[in-house]
Amino acid sequence: MGMTDKEKIMLEDFFKQAAQQQIEDRGFTERVMQNLPERRVEQVRRLSRLWTIFCGVVGVAMFFLLGGWQVVQGWFLAAVRMTIGWLEIFMVTAPTTEISINPWVVLLVLVFVIIFLPYQTARRLSSAL
Amino acid sequence: MAELSDISLVTQVAVFHNKRAFDQLVRKYQSPVRRFFLNQTLGDEQLSDDLAQETFIKAYVNITKFRGMASFSTWLFRIAYNVHYDYVRSLRQTDDIDTSRAVKNSSVSSDENLKMDLYKALSLLKPDERTCITLQLIDGHQIDKIAEITGIPENTVKSHLRRGKEKMVYYLKQNGYDR
Repeated sequence: MGMTDKEKIMLEDFFKQAAQQQIEDRGFTERVMQNLPERRVEQVRRLSRLWTIFCGVVGVAMFFLLGGWQVVQGWFLAAVRMTIGWLEIFMVTAPTTEISINPWVVLLVLVFVIIFLPYQTARRLSSAL
Repeated sequence: MAELSDISLVTQVAVFHNKRAFDQLVRKYQSPVRRFFLNQTLGDEQLSDDLAQETFIKAYVNITKFRGMASFSTWLFRIAYNVHYDYVRSLRQTDDIDTSRAVKNSSVSSDENLKMDLYKALSLLKPDERTCITLQLIDGHQIDKIAEITGIPENTVKSHLRRGKEKMVYYLKQNGYDR
């Protein structure tokens, strides 16, 4: 047997107030957020970050302990000496009368290529990242 | 639009692990979820908040399983229903459910006479009947959504609704609501 219209209205009226009830938050969301467990991805990410830091620290320590700085310094000085050597040879052997190109212009272009271009590239890369 | 917003928030949580996005989802749905549990537990506020918290934590942990086939709200209510179902089952294992317990224990605050009447009326229903009745008459879900949330076939939902309504009408008449 179905319900009469009067019974339907009575039922709807009875539940109307409950349907309109809004429960205030009163710190519920904060409590939920504080109790959220760490998800697997977050755990892996945190471990990966710790591992990177650990490896970095160990790497830097090994570098200094095993005389890595002296090696780098040696490479740098050798590179400087070699560049100066090339420049000396170039300046001595470069023809000054037969061709119209001024060796100083060549030197400026070299400086531009060696210093300015890498600087610009590094700057653009860092801004893009 | 609300749906789009829900999906974008869920994506933020699932893909970018954005806890602020989840905070917004909790704020948005805390009221209907807590109200659902209040009705199932017959007004036990502490228990309702505990179960609601468990629901949101489960939603957070399993958010990557949300495929967007149903709305986020339906998916969340399904978790809430399962949390309540597990709770009822755990109670059954320890002792029989005394449905009047929550009504007696619930803290009585303002405008509570009607609320107490509501919880008394709901206490006459079996758990599944109560769930179907509150999902339809309080939370405004359609029968197909109720079936989706509870995992109960639509025809069984209809039977629960019919029986539940009959009991409610009888209770209301007994308590002079028809005058």
